[in-house]
Parts: sequence; structure tokens; C-alpha cells
Amino acid sequence: MSVASFDSLTVRYGNFVALNQFSCQIPEGCVGLLGPNGAGKTTLIKTILGFIAPTQGRGSVLGSDIATEGDALRQKVGLMPEQDCHIPGMNAVEFVAYAGRLAGMPQAHAIRRAHEVLEYCGLGEARYRNVETYSTGMKQRIKLAQALVHGPKLLLLDEPTNGLDPRGREEMLELVRSVSHGKGVNVLVSSHLLPDIERVCDEVIVVFRGELRAQGKIQDLKRVAGQPVDVELREPSPEFAAALGSRNMSWEPRGLSEFRVMGLNTPEETVHAVYACAAQAGAQVRSLAPAERSLEEAFMEAIHV
Amino acid sequence: MSEPTSNPIADLTYRNYDGPIEPARARWLPIAAATASMGVKKKGFWLVAALSSWYYVVMLIVFYVIGNFTRQSGDRGAQISEEFFKRIVWKDQFLHGFGYSQMLFLVLAIMLGAGAIANDNRSNALLVYLSKPLRKIDYLFGKWLGVAWVITLVALVPMLFFYLYCLMTYRDQGFLSQDPLLILRILVLAPMTGLFYSSLVIGISSLLNQGRLAGAALAGVYFLTYFFTQLINGYRMNLLMMNPDQTRTGLDLLWYLSLDGINIALAKMILGTRGQPPFNAGQDFVLPVIPPAWIFIPLALLICGGFLAIAWSRVRAVEVVR
Repeated sequence: MSVASFDSLTVRYGNFVALNQFSCQIPEGCVGLLGPNGAGKTTLIKTILGFIAPTQGRGSVLGSDIATEGDALRQKVGLMPEQDCHIPGMNAVEFVAYAGRLAGMPQAHAIRRAHEVLEYCGLGEARYRNVETYSTGMKQRIKLAQALVHGPKLLLLDEPTNGLDPRGREEMLELVRSVSHGKGVNVLVSSHLLPDIERVCDEVIVVFRGELRAQGKIQDLKRVAGQPVDVELREPSPEFAAALGSRNMSWEPRGLSEFRVMGLNTPEETVHAVYACAAQAGAQVRSLAPAERSLEEAFMEAIHV
Repeated sequence: MSEPTSNPIADLTYRNYDGPIEPARARWLPIAAATASMGVKKKGFWLVAALSSWYYVVMLIVFYVIGNFTRQSGDRGAQISEEFFKRIVWKDQFLHGFGYSQMLFLVLAIMLGAGAIANDNRSNALLVYLSKPLRKIDYLFGKWLGVAWVITLVALVPMLFFYLYCLMTYRDQGFLSQDPLLILRILVLAPMTGLFYSSLVIGISSLLNQGRLAGAALAGVYFLTYFFTQLINGYRMNLLMMNPDQTRTGLDLLWYLSLDGINIALAKMILGTRGQPPFNAGQDFVLPVIPPAWIFIPLALLICGGFLAIAWSRVRAVEVVR
């Protein structure tokens, strides 16, 4: 089941086309929105929220039309913007409770919920401090807390690790992973940082120049065509290479004792053939795994760079 | 083994919110409440609010002294007291109290509203507001109302206190008989100034990224127009001294063309008085005419509407550069 669907969505800023005939279905779970700077990721998020009106096309999020049912849609969605944002003059509890009030929560519920999400986001100790005095990491966390306070079904995270040091980044990614798995919250993470996306997301959508370039599970995108396997031997073995050649199997070296062996008809057939070659060469197989490329390679291929 | 705690905050796992949600029609209410609440917490707010009632306090003291101590000093004193109260035009006291506090209302408007949108612009808070299920009209109306109702209360409370005191004490001196509808006029007058200054300060605040700059801009408009009308008044008085019998309606109307002048013009229309000096010195000829409603009501509405239209056009969740 999809959380959001877009059909030929086009968004223009004057003559500049930010989203061009963008069509896709965003599945449930944690989905990464990948693309280089200026690809249209933030524009898509802002269009979802109704900040920018599409010039063409349609879209719906959690059953609400993005053009006509903005209020109902935003009731079900939480936004963690890329930029720092807070309400001046408020401490964390006041800010998050106020965000809850804006979403229609009664005062008492909003305050109680603010305490809960601040604890969850790791700001329990600093909840009575003015938000303007927060560090960058804390500001990222409070942005997440205000997005979560009204219990959204879809969380839009725009560059959630922006400006964080390695430890802060780890903690934020852990938080995102935690909220997006088994909590009933779907998450769309927009980022140009591939390791972040790989760490927390199950699926990705690759956007480039306002167009959808690739979509699917990360494992599928990383899969190499032809189902090859990566073989690591205990020590270098020219005999193993010769044995592969004698069976007309194509391969390429990946290191002194590592080979990428092209797949045969089925994965099972390939595995049997590799073990047979190793036995013939008297080589010891240390590891055997389906060959994968990195997400970066998959991403580069998707955007044709 | 320790007992599991019943405190929900001790449970750090994430739980969804499935509690009640209020109807979408009143989303401006928390914005208005927060704007007002942050405003009244500012340093000096209560001092300025108290100072804005200075005229009523002074007049109450004067009335009390003349009404009590002169009567105690024999027949002559009683006669002085009677003549004094005969000269009092009661609704003029409200006009003066209102007029003399204009600058303080401006200060209050700046304290409450200068940063209302400007500070949100600076801290990207509009993204927080507009990503929630509310509309731009909720945001603007909430900000506007948050400033307007506090100024209204600050203007109204001393007026009502003064009215009630005079009603209880000076009914025999014509307080009620001079204008039985005075209470209704007061109830219209006080919100008017709140709505006027609120519209101005919200419009200017939306144009800038810093509350201080917005405050300085509004103060600049106030004082520029004020000095213009003072120059007009100087010229007008000069002409009046030379020829007291000649009416100068055009100059009289120009005298009202400042921010406080427009408020005073509306107040004169609402109260139906030209505004005698506090102790009725009898120089009626120097008082500007009551301005015509057909000019000043549309003018006030145009100014308020113009500044609110500026705010409407400036409030955007995202800045789209075309």
C-alpha cells in the first residue's frame, strides 16, 4: 500500500521547472528521497505540504489530495525542515506544546505529549531551556520533536543530519530509524548523503533535475545485473582462475584472492560451479556472496553521471 | 527487582498520539493567546500599561480633592465645587484620557506586535506554523488579534474604572444625564484603537526580519506624521490668533492626519464632542472641528486594510524566487 502517489506532477518557479512530470508511489515504511542539491527533493516536500501549487498533475498523501485537502493532509503529516526553525522566546516544552496546539491538540494533551516526545528525542534534560540557546544537534532534535508531537502518520525529514558532528549524526540516524520501524509512522527522508539513507531507509526514490530516475528497495538497486557472486579465497590461487576458465565461466579479479564470478542460469548453479572450481584448484573459499555494488554506484547510474 | 513506574515519561519508547483533536475552525486561538502572552511577559509592559491610565488617575484625584475638601471648607468651598463640576463635560474626560495615551498605546503596540511576524521571519517559524493544519488567515488573524485585544483591554480597563467611579460619585453632577449612551461609546472606542495599531504593527512586522527594526519603522511613521500635524497646528493657530472668526475646516482636517490624529478623530466622532480643555477654559474657537465620518472612517479602514494586505502578501511558508 502506498503512502503517497503523484501523477505527472509539474512545479515551476517562473521558467525554471523544479519538478517535471513527476510520477511515483511512495510505499509504507522508511523511504529515502535521494538526489543532488537542486534535484527537486525539497520542492516535492513543499508541494506535498501545499506550500507550492503544482502547475500540472495531481497527487495525494494518505488519501488527501495535495491541491484541495491541505488542512486534512497536514493533520496527518509532520515536517522537520532543513533550516533551523523555532518560535522565538519559548523554551522547548512551550515550543513543542505550542506546535501541538497548532495541530489542534487540547492544551493539557499538548503539554503532556510535549514532555513525552522531548524525552523520546533526547531533550528531556534541556526541556526548560530557551530553544535559541540550543546547539545545532539539539536544534535538529527539537525540529523532530515538534514534527512528532501531533502523532503524524507520515514524517517528512528534510536533510535531518544537516550540520551535525559524527556523534550527533549517529544519534539522529538512530532516532530516525527507531521512529520509522514498528511505530506506525511512515518516514520520507530527503538527503543527498547516501550513507545516511542507506542506514535508515528500506527503499529509495532517486530524483534528478525534477524527474524520477529510479525507485526501489535499496538491496534491489544495489544488485548487479547477471547475478554474479563475489568469491574470496583464503590465499591467491591462479588454479582457481584457470578452473573457472575451463568451465567457460567469466570472472574478473577484485583483489589478490577475490573474484567476481558472473552468474550462470540460476544462483544455485553458480554456487555449485564455484565450489567445484575451488575443489578442483585445491583452494579454500572464505566467503561467497551475491555481488553488490555500492548505493553510490547505483545512484550514479540512475542519474547518468 | 524494582517496580515498573506508572509515570508515562519514564517510558521512553515512541507512542502515537490518539487523543482528541479540536475542530480546525479555531486554530487562530492558540496563536492569539501565545502572541498576547509573550507580549505581556516583556519587561516594561505593565509599566507602560499602567502609565497609559495616568490621565484618569490625575482626574480622579482632582475630582476627589475638589469634591471633598472644598465642600468641607464652608459655603465658599461648596460654591467652588459646584461651579467646577458644572463646567465639566464628562465625555471629554474620556476623549482626553484616550488622546493623551496615544503614544503609550503605540509603545504597547510595538512591544506586543513589532516582533510578532518579524521574529518568525528571522527564525523560519513560518515553516512550523504553516506545516501544521492551519491556514495563512489563521496565522495572521491570530497574530493580529493577539496584539489588538491586549491594547483594547489596556485602553478599556481604566476607562471603565473611571466610568464606574464617576457613575457612583458624580451622578448628581450630570455624569449620567449629560450622555446616557456614554458607556456604549466607550465600548466602541477602546477596541477601535486596538484594531488600528494592531493592523499597523502587524503589517510593518511582516516586512522585516527583526522586531526592533519593525518597531523603529512604526515609531518613525508615528513621529513623522505627528510632526507634520504639529506644523499644521502651529500654522493654524497663527491664523486663528489673527482672525478668530474665520473657520478653517481644511486645516482642521489636516491636523488629524497623523496616526494619533486619526485615532483622536475617530474618538471625537464616536463620543460626539470636539473636546473641551480639561477644565473648560472656554477657548472654543481653537478646537478643531469634529471631522466628518465619511472621510475618516474610510481613511482608517483603508490604512488598516492596506497594512493587513501587506502582511497577507508577505506571509509565505517558502520564499519563491522567480
